[in-house]
Amino acid sequence: MRPDRRVAPWLFLAPGLVVFSVAVLLPMVLTVGFSFTEWNGFGAMTFVGLDNYVRAFHDTFLRASFLHVIVYIAATLVLEVLVGLCLAGLVSMRRGRLWFRVAIFTPVMLPMVVVAVLWAFVYNPDFGLLNGALEAMGLAGLQRIWLGDPSVALLAISVVSGWVYAGFYMMIFYAAFRQVPSDIIEAARLDGAGEWSIFRRVKVPMIRGAVGVAVLLCVTGGFQGFDLFFVMTNGGPYGSTEIPTTLLVRTVFRHADVGYGSAMAVVLTAVVVTCGLAYAQLQVRRTRGAAR
Amino acid sequence: MSGARARWSFPQLLVTLGLLLIAVVFFFPMIWMVMNSFKTNQAIFRTPFALPESIDFDRWIKAWEVGHIGQYALNSAIVTGVSVAAILVIAASAAFAFSRYRFPGRSLALGLFALGLLLPLQSYFIAQSTMFRQVGILDTRWALIIPYIAMGLPLAVYLLKVYLDALPEELFEAAHIDGASDLRVFGSLAMPLLRPGLATVAIFSALACWNEFLLALLYIQDDRLKTIPTGLLAFSSRYVTDYSLLFSALSIITIPMVVIYVVFNRQIVEGITAGSVK
Repeated sequence: MRPDRRVAPWLFLAPGLVVFSVAVLLPMVLTVGFSFTEWNGFGAMTFVGLDNYVRAFHDTFLRASFLHVIVYIAATLVLEVLVGLCLAGLVSMRRGRLWFRVAIFTPVMLPMVVVAVLWAFVYNPDFGLLNGALEAMGLAGLQRIWLGDPSVALLAISVVSGWVYAGFYMMIFYAAFRQVPSDIIEAARLDGAGEWSIFRRVKVPMIRGAVGVAVLLCVTGGFQGFDLFFVMTNGGPYGSTEIPTTLLVRTVFRHADVGYGSAMAVVLTAVVVTCGLAYAQLQVRRTRGAAR
Repeated sequence: MSGARARWSFPQLLVTLGLLLIAVVFFFPMIWMVMNSFKTNQAIFRTPFALPESIDFDRWIKAWEVGHIGQYALNSAIVTGVSVAAILVIAASAAFAFSRYRFPGRSLALGLFALGLLLPLQSYFIAQSTMFRQVGILDTRWALIIPYIAMGLPLAVYLLKVYLDALPEELFEAAHIDGASDLRVFGSLAMPLLRPGLATVAIFSALACWNEFLLALLYIQDDRLKTIPTGLLAFSSRYVTDYSLLFSALSIITIPMVVIYVVFNRQIVEGITAGSVK
């Protein structure tokens, strides 16, 4: 039996609902409203209907920024999720190895700005760690001005993202691997399966759910990435690392084009929410479809 | 992981060595950072990979002073402390409502918070900044505290609700039969039982607030109110070419966090991964 008084639950809910509505829901609705106007943030606001969306559709810079972020997401799926999965596989082959898990997770703790400034130094063409290491290994031919070269800057940033988050995904997968019943693994081993095929054909399929969550986090997080890009290149060189979030911040806060920036924000939100809902849909279908 | 000393086989030894190599390469940027923080600018340019000639903390002291790092850290601590405290109380109270009562509008309210789990910051920060400007709280700590609370709530509510749902019904019934008021049941029964959940929420909320960058960048221009991420950025643009000083500042910010992490690694890892796998 639960107490079913009318007022009490609302009193407990009120603070949360008020803060969330005022600070998130209301401005979200207002942002959608702004997207139908032309406004510099201060003066008069003019209603322009769908003009901003038409403009967004034809905007080659916006299109390029989405292309860049998709490349970035693809790279981080490999550098974060896939690398994390392999590291978790290696770590979980044998018990222990706590030191490794603790070590690789460390960057997750740090502010992204700290990571970005540090890695800008690693990539520095004059005294940077990376070019120096390449030279020491006799690979001077591979030296680049990493953040100044449009053909590699986006990848260079993705690598930093991988450095931070590979350990995070490793932890998620490690926790999932521990849930795999050991008798299944033992049975596979008795059947003569090697470590690699146990990993690929037994352990990874068993943690499909965790892989799904990781991919979702990596994709939706990728669309919202900002800190590394803003600090390391802010869209440059020659727009090669411009992503929707940096473009949108510049449009609104530098060019005072609030209406158009809001339309970009709505488009970006729609993309992220669609990914989330698509994932939820997949989950529903899987739980309905399969017994497991 | 004690008592886990399985037999050492050659392939396993190879894997361990491989992991050791990965870890060393992985940590090299941070080791290099600390090394360079003890060098002069000329030494960084001339021999970027040599060990420092001496370990003296002059550069660190200078970076701490000219970089206003103490001020930034204090600001981060205030903003983080207030936000996390508010998230804990407000989210626990909302979770209590969802878990202990059935009432009309419950699923709608729950749905709103579920939406909050998915919404990117970009969906609301433009209008939020104009709202804050109108109310006159831009460039005050409230401009960070309010959104940090709001952003932290959805996940905190969900996690705490899961904890509360798992508590036995009889506990609460007994309290009601004893004549305890709803508020008392919440304060004296639910809150103490929620302690592990609250600790988890506190860890990931604190880290999110401490490291948040975008809103801090847009809402705070006053250098005296900047938090560590935006403060460091301001510092790095003031001293663009004083690499030695910047390496020192990075070390000063990084090392305490790494130490805290090493000490509390289990709780922190659990908190952060629980906070992300919603």
